[in-house]
Amino acid sequence: MDRQFWTYLGWRVLQSLVIIAIVIVGSFLLLHLVPGDMVDVLGGQRGDMDAELMATLRERYGLDQPVLVQLLNYVGSVLQGDLGYSYRNATDVLSLVLQRLPATILLVVCSVITAVFFGTMAGVIAARHAHRPIDVIISMIVLVFYATPIFLTGLGLVIVFSVKLKLLPIGGLITPGVDFSFLELVGDVALHLILPVFSLSLFYIAIYARLARASMLQVLDQDYIRTAYAKGLSTYNVIIGHALRNALLPVVTMVGLQIAELFGGAVLTETIFSLPGVGRLAYDAVFERDYPLILGVLLVCAFIIIVVNLIIDIIYTLLDPRVEISR
Amino acid sequence: MMLRRVLLSPAGMIGLVTLLLIVGMAISAPYLFPKGPWALVARPYLWPGSRPGIPFGTDALGRDILAGVFYGSRVSLLVGIVATVCALVVGITVGAIAGYFGRVADAVLMRITDAFQTIPGFLFAVVLVSILSPSISTIIFAIATVSWPPVARLTRAEVLRVRESEYVQSCKIIGMSAPRIILTQVLPNSLSPVIVAAAVLVATAIITEAGLSFLGLGDPNVMSWGTLINIGRPSIRSTWFICIIPGLFVVLTVLALNLLGDAINDALNPHLRKR
Amino acid sequence: MRPINLIAGIGAMLCAAAAPIFHAQAEEPVKGGTVTFLMSPAPQILTSAITTAGAEQVVSSKISDSLFTYDFDLNPKPLLAKSYEVSEDGKRVTFHLREGVKWHDGEEFTSEDVAFTTMEVWKVLHGRGRTIFGNVEKVETPDKYTAVFVLSRPSPGMLKSLAAQQAQILPAHLYKGTDILTNPANLKPVGTGPFRVVSFTPGDNLVLERNPDYWDEGKPYIDKLVFRFIPDAATRSAALEAGEAQIAPQNLVPMVDLERLQATGEFEVTTKGYEFQNEMEMIEFNLDDPVMKDIRVRQAIAHAIDKDWIVDNIFFGYGISAKTPLHPQLTELYDASDVPQYDYDPEKAKALLEEAGYKPDANGTRLKLVVDPLPYGEHQNHVAAYMREAFREVGIDLEVRAQDFAGFVKRVYTDRDFQFTVNLLTGGSDPTIGTQRTFWTPSFKPGVGFSNGSHYSNPKMDEILESAAAEMDAAKRKALYHDFQKLAMEDLPVLPLTAVESTTIANKRLKNHTIDANGTYSNFANVYLEPAQ
Repeated sequence: MDRQFWTYLGWRVLQSLVIIAIVIVGSFLLLHLVPGDMVDVLGGQRGDMDAELMATLRERYGLDQPVLVQLLNYVGSVLQGDLGYSYRNATDVLSLVLQRLPATILLVVCSVITAVFFGTMAGVIAARHAHRPIDVIISMIVLVFYATPIFLTGLGLVIVFSVKLKLLPIGGLITPGVDFSFLELVGDVALHLILPVFSLSLFYIAIYARLARASMLQVLDQDYIRTAYAKGLSTYNVIIGHALRNALLPVVTMVGLQIAELFGGAVLTETIFSLPGVGRLAYDAVFERDYPLILGVLLVCAFIIIVVNLIIDIIYTLLDPRVEISR
Repeated sequence: MMLRRVLLSPAGMIGLVTLLLIVGMAISAPYLFPKGPWALVARPYLWPGSRPGIPFGTDALGRDILAGVFYGSRVSLLVGIVATVCALVVGITVGAIAGYFGRVADAVLMRITDAFQTIPGFLFAVVLVSILSPSISTIIFAIATVSWPPVARLTRAEVLRVRESEYVQSCKIIGMSAPRIILTQVLPNSLSPVIVAAAVLVATAIITEAGLSFLGLGDPNVMSWGTLINIGRPSIRSTWFICIIPGLFVVLTVLALNLLGDAINDALNPHLRKR
Repeated sequence: MRPINLIAGIGAMLCAAAAPIFHAQAEEPVKGGTVTFLMSPAPQILTSAITTAGAEQVVSSKISDSLFTYDFDLNPKPLLAKSYEVSEDGKRVTFHLREGVKWHDGEEFTSEDVAFTTMEVWKVLHGRGRTIFGNVEKVETPDKYTAVFVLSRPSPGMLKSLAAQQAQILPAHLYKGTDILTNPANLKPVGTGPFRVVSFTPGDNLVLERNPDYWDEGKPYIDKLVFRFIPDAATRSAALEAGEAQIAPQNLVPMVDLERLQATGEFEVTTKGYEFQNEMEMIEFNLDDPVMKDIRVRQAIAHAIDKDWIVDNIFFGYGISAKTPLHPQLTELYDASDVPQYDYDPEKAKALLEEAGYKPDANGTRLKLVVDPLPYGEHQNHVAAYMREAFREVGIDLEVRAQDFAGFVKRVYTDRDFQFTVNLLTGGSDPTIGTQRTFWTPSFKPGVGFSNGSHYSNPKMDEILESAAAEMDAAKRKALYHDFQKLAMEDLPVLPLTAVESTTIANKRLKNHTIDANGTYSNFANVYLEPAQ
């Protein structure tokens, strides 16, 4: 690769670091501007805690210091890879988040793949038959997917497939308390993931379908496709070999943009399907006012999303030389 | 002119009519149900159709779900529209400043926008609403906070395009002030994609509000569709209708808004429609 | 009621009639099997010696035994303590411990463990232990199997509080000299109980297995006990229905689902096993608030609420309309005779408001109030929503304020920026453990959650509570608590609404899950699972 590429990469990494810094400072300040701290919650849950004990705890966790000092301490420890300590869970935040991350990543990755696969397929088919009944039907179905909130889909799927038909587990990631061999484990996890993945991806199937349809229509209009047809290539070859490859570029961009949204949607999916992921961890942390944990989850999510976008950007630049590298 | 084009497409027509019906529900609610959505009218968990006058049944406390759905349309629309307006104001301002002035302003504003976009939107809304206490205003605030960044990006891209045009350049030459150029020249020529996005933003806001209420982060003093969904959620295995009926209204509204958005988009970009 | 229930009811009666024969035949416990137990919220740690959180109590009681368990009338039954005696003056309590009990790591359980846990854990770190064991001056250990509690003053309430849920014994050999709050054994507990930890996935599940060296030979009967922490109520009820779990305690299944699940014939519901909790749905009035200070306003509110409606429609009958601050389950002390009552009477409520100087405006509104329901479960919100409607009838415009748990605790107990709450307060197995803190002047401590939130202070009340706490004579104690109930309802710093009956729903194949007052908080040594037919 040439120097221009490396300059670009360096620039993008620098940008990402700035974004992370904004996220850290911003969310830290936000969480400290609200009434009621961790010790108030502990006091409430323990039922009887006197002012002295509460003061001791505040001192111990550094909550009695000015916000700015707390912020500096926090940034300092984050730089050393320490995201703080979750008092409610009696564990350090990083290991808690890392423990929960696999479930969420599995969920999100499977959902992206499902959404891209089915979405693009639907979009391509629709585009092939643009303005004919198949297109209209696909568009309508896709629109309904798009309009249905994740939680409605999720609840509906559970009732039909888990309770009525008893085909799939209600929730969780692994059947607890059973000793599985590796293959059995993979099968068990796969069974547990089917419903959550579908309820999370339906919405995105819709998005990718519409996107793929639109960009497919645009591509099919291009000269080189006409040329391909003129060369006597079969429809299948033209679609898969030429049009789809080009129509996929906007889809790839969209994946980058949607990753953050998928993590957000994971909060709902993980709650409905009791998946032990970071979404549920954050949701529980919010209700317990576990600030270090909330911060930790936001930060790790932001970090992953930034890295994914960085990678997508690089892939994009490599794939499509037409993309102009600015600055 | 544009309205006619929107109405000429069947999708736009269906969307508009559905939306008008829902607006009609919102307006007529206090006249049809003068006792409000919270009045206890019958025993709790009454099934739809089991008693005349209460076609949708009652919720966990014996409140009329039909009344709830009517009043809910007001709140859901309100949340959707106000949150969208706020997001538009912030997003357009940020996008216009970043796009027009470029350089430092652009770098700073866009990094902030990036930061907002790297935090999962719904998760951030959950955090915001719960630490600020759930109420209609905090919910609107949270939704607006997570929805402005795409508007800013879109506006910035359009402004960048328009900025270099001859008429903007000539305005600069005759010494027009920057705010004036932005307001009178740049924005009017760059906002049409943003307007299309607005319809989708309203829809997303309504879904987000329902999702927040589903998680128990709704305003307990305000009857929205999300409120009903949250009331019905624990008992969805037995009395699913409490959740599903308002859920269907959410789906319907979101569908209508999207159909309308598509139709407006097509009307604005007739060349895309040619094929 | 719909006809179907009548038929189900007759069916239930027939079953009840047939039950004794059935019991006589098949009571040989079945060995083996895995039981899945639904919980929410999830426990953060696996010991309850340092926390009062419910989830920790439920899971850790299976791992570590306590001195006693209690029968349904709260009489102690031996567990790690074989017997006990109390000296004449009530100031020395001697426990004779079971011999040959081993911790899961093979060390012997001795009086040293009891002394250490009492003095360094319960008294210092346990929320309620600080009160319950407040009078313990020291624990003497004359030999390995004898522990003598030396008290500064008699504490009859203490003997009601030695079950695992609030007095779990920790192994001194692992905790002594360490920072107890962050000791790794809090997450990898070593207990004396019938089950050992296999794996713990925080927030998701906990897997326990049978302890083969349990002191009560032959027990426990089941091989594995799996806890699944499911936050969504509908999912919990679906898990039971799909057969993925066998038991869900503490109202974890929505009441409307209980009826439907019972109708399938596969499940049974019990309200037993909560004699320790005695939860009361109550209104705490902020007596520092200029409006709530006026007793006529508080009485008006009391008359504006139909408590039976709340029991029937919000608690689905799983509760008793409250007449005093004590739970009727507290059979030894509960007495509602001659206690002032405030029946549902909107007219009277209006008259009282009129008298207090609140005249209706053009909309019929006499006064605007704000209520803060405790954000825990949904009942408090429902009660608040009901009150908003009921109050409108008497001319009170009520706003319901929502906040999270921390916000609620801070607002009510630290900032004291509220008018009244709808709260769920644990009465405990003795009034000294729970109820007292709500009425006793010294427990008005801003900053302390669930203390005397009303800021109620009446020297007469303090005297009654203090004498009752130290009274050894049962009859005199009962009389004192009768005075307490009368005075509390006369002064009305809090308005008891419902004596809550918590429910446990379990698959009928699961036996012995509720055999004493500890219910699902007990050690599950006797639980067994009949194989599916």
